[in-house]
Amino acid sequence: MPNQKLVSSGGIYKGKTSMWLYIFHRVTGVALFGYLLLHIISTALILLGPEVYEGAEAIYKNFYFRVAEIGLFGAVLAHAINGLRIITVDLWKKGSDYQKQLNLISLVIFIGVFVPSSYRMVVSYFDLCLEKSSPGTTVTDCIIRPIPDWK
Amino acid sequence: MKTQRTDWGRRQPPLAGSSFELYAWFFMRVSGLLLVLLAVGHMFIMHVFNDTLNLDYEFVAARWDTPYWRAFDWLLLALSLLHGTNGLRVVLHDNISDTTVRKLSLSALYVTSLGFFVLGTYVIVAFVSKV
Ligand code: HEM
Ligand code: HEM
Repeated sequence: MPNQKLVSSGGIYKGKTSMWLYIFHRVTGVALFGYLLLHIISTALILLGPEVYEGAEAIYKNFYFRVAEIGLFGAVLAHAINGLRIITVDLWKKGSDYQKQLNLISLVIFIGVFVPSSYRMVVSYFDLCLEKSSPGTTVTDCIIRPIPDWK
Repeated sequence: MKTQRTDWGRRQPPLAGSSFELYAWFFMRVSGLLLVLLAVGHMFIMHVFNDTLNLDYEFVAARWDTPYWRAFDWLLLALSLLHGTNGLRVVLHDNISDTTVRKLSLSALYVTSLGFFVLGTYVIVAFVSKV
């Protein structure tokens, strides 16, 4: 078969991990597409001027959305790193011989990028919230307030 | 089209049938590589180098002041929509066995994606800062 030349054709790794990764990749991919559509709409509001755009953005600025953003960040990152793993297995000649190792490396890279970034996203949320909110605001206020009290 | 599910953790390249499916398979890998720069880069810009709490009209106006960020965003728009649409095409093929329902949902998908592509492109091209 002519197309066979395109891909690696080494050993077959029959772990269960890969099956779960397949499902995981599909779920994150479909979720990201859904987010992308919402995101294009909310970005389009910018044509309606600063009031409308910032009014809509204000909703995204409470702590619940920060948690959701971290989840989204994780989903993009995980789909991307798992995608790179897939690409490596497919297009590197020996890729399919090292699937277990590649699974492990992907996990390590994911944790190595995700943990510090999400830590930063949490810390900087509280820094900025305390700095911008009216005096007397506590960390608890920052967590439970549905809409921040600054503009 | 038949996708093969195996325990390799990814779709196998379609080795028989139309060359379109092979190109589509290959396109997922190439666009994926570019999206690592574009989508992951976009997320880092918004969340790590900036904080979304500081995100406002002026922030976007300043970014879209240069054609380069408009081009970056447009590439991101085009590639993530194409990559996601082709991904969903495969998902729909795999999960809907009824031919009529499948054709309808595929058409709905294409129309939706095209609509959002037009909207997103229009926003990037037409934006003129009001501040
Ligand atoms: C950030 C970099 C990204 C990389 C490296 C990447 C990589 C990949 C690869 C290699 C595939 C093919 C998987 C296979 O054939 O088994 C794939 C599938 C898919 N991707 Fe991505 N992708 C990225 C971003 C995105 C984004 C932003 C979206 C959403 C718009 C998305 C949505 C999808 C969907 C829906 C599938 C189909 C899943 C399936 O068939 O099971 N991807 N991705
Ligand atoms: C919560 C996380 C995110 C934030 C805060 C965010 C923020 C923004 C902002 C402020 C813009 C306006 C243009 C600019 O300043 O460059 C924008 C545009 C855009 N973003 Fe995101 N983004 C996020 C996640 C994503 C993800 C995950 C994707 C890809 C799947 C994405 C794709 C896009 C696209 C395609 C545009 C251009 C939209 C258009 O043409 O109307 N964004 N984003």
